[in-house]
Amino acid sequence: MHPSLHTGIREALGAPAFAMGATFLAFGAAVAEAGLSLPWALLCTGAVYGMAGQLVLLQVAAGGGAALPAVVAATAANARFLPMAVAIAPLLGRGRGRYLALPFIAITPWAAGMRVLPGLPEPARRPWFLGFAIASWCAAMAATAAGHLAAPNLPAELRAALLFANPLYFALLLAADAARPGVAPALAAGVLAAPLALAVGGAWGLPLAGLLGGTLAFLWGRRH
Amino acid sequence: MSSADWALALTVGIGLALRGCGLLLGGALRPDHPAIAWASAVSVATLAAFVTLAIAAPAGLLATVPWPARLAGLAAGGLAYGLWRHRLLPAMAAGLVTLLLARLWTG
Repeated sequence: MHPSLHTGIREALGAPAFAMGATFLAFGAAVAEAGLSLPWALLCTGAVYGMAGQLVLLQVAAGGGAALPAVVAATAANARFLPMAVAIAPLLGRGRGRYLALPFIAITPWAAGMRVLPGLPEPARRPWFLGFAIASWCAAMAATAAGHLAAPNLPAELRAALLFANPLYFALLLAADAARPGVAPALAAGVLAAPLALAVGGAWGLPLAGLLGGTLAFLWGRRH
Repeated sequence: MSSADWALALTVGIGLALRGCGLLLGGALRPDHPAIAWASAVSVATLAAFVTLAIAAPAGLLATVPWPARLAGLAAGGLAYGLWRHRLLPAMAAGLVTLLLARLWTG
């Protein structure tokens, strides 16, 4: 095993795995609560691997709505995959090997990679990222399964608290990101546009609010 | 396949395509290109709206938690995040414990 791969695995299995574990445990419990199966939960975690989109997808899918609005809403919530992948691509080396990281580009591994990779020698970067990403992905899958299986035995108060872990996790990540250029206006615009999502309702409310808020924040940023 | 299965399959495909395009563009497009900045702003705004709704007007089981308890959990999490030098784990633990205690307090 490449030493950097081992280092990445070890670093992922600390605080990041615990933080993700609580979130994905809550997601597994929420899927069970919605009456969807364990394979659906595992496929959603393993292949979508973006909690915001997963939750939006679950919310719409569990309501028995049409597929298209659910896909649009989930894609809008996970649209950050594109700029995240653009930003981390140069750190993952040249050639086709960088595409090994493709399924694992998500908030937690991306944030860790952007912090650690620039300080590593180039040959060590991709193994480190893959070690970190695969370990955190495995933790997410295990937590999803545990949450789904344990949901019926968990008290309602604890299940509600676990569900709160998701918005809390993203609120903290957004707050941490607020200092980066362009993030604070988009964050404020999203908060202000939230009533629009309520007013429109259904699956289209959230993507419309995000599209309007984000576009206004982008235009505001271009002028200032 | 049910509607939920179709939605999942399509979301997976589009998510992989977004990541693939990002890796492809990464070598050719600057991260501060206007198109990337717009996509980033929309994704942040969508996530912020989602978090706002989940805390202010949640659906499902979370709606059974009184709003003062949800706000207390959010405030405690944010405070702990600042006090513990931006460490996620203690901040989340503080938020969740506060939520449970506030729920007990508010009945």
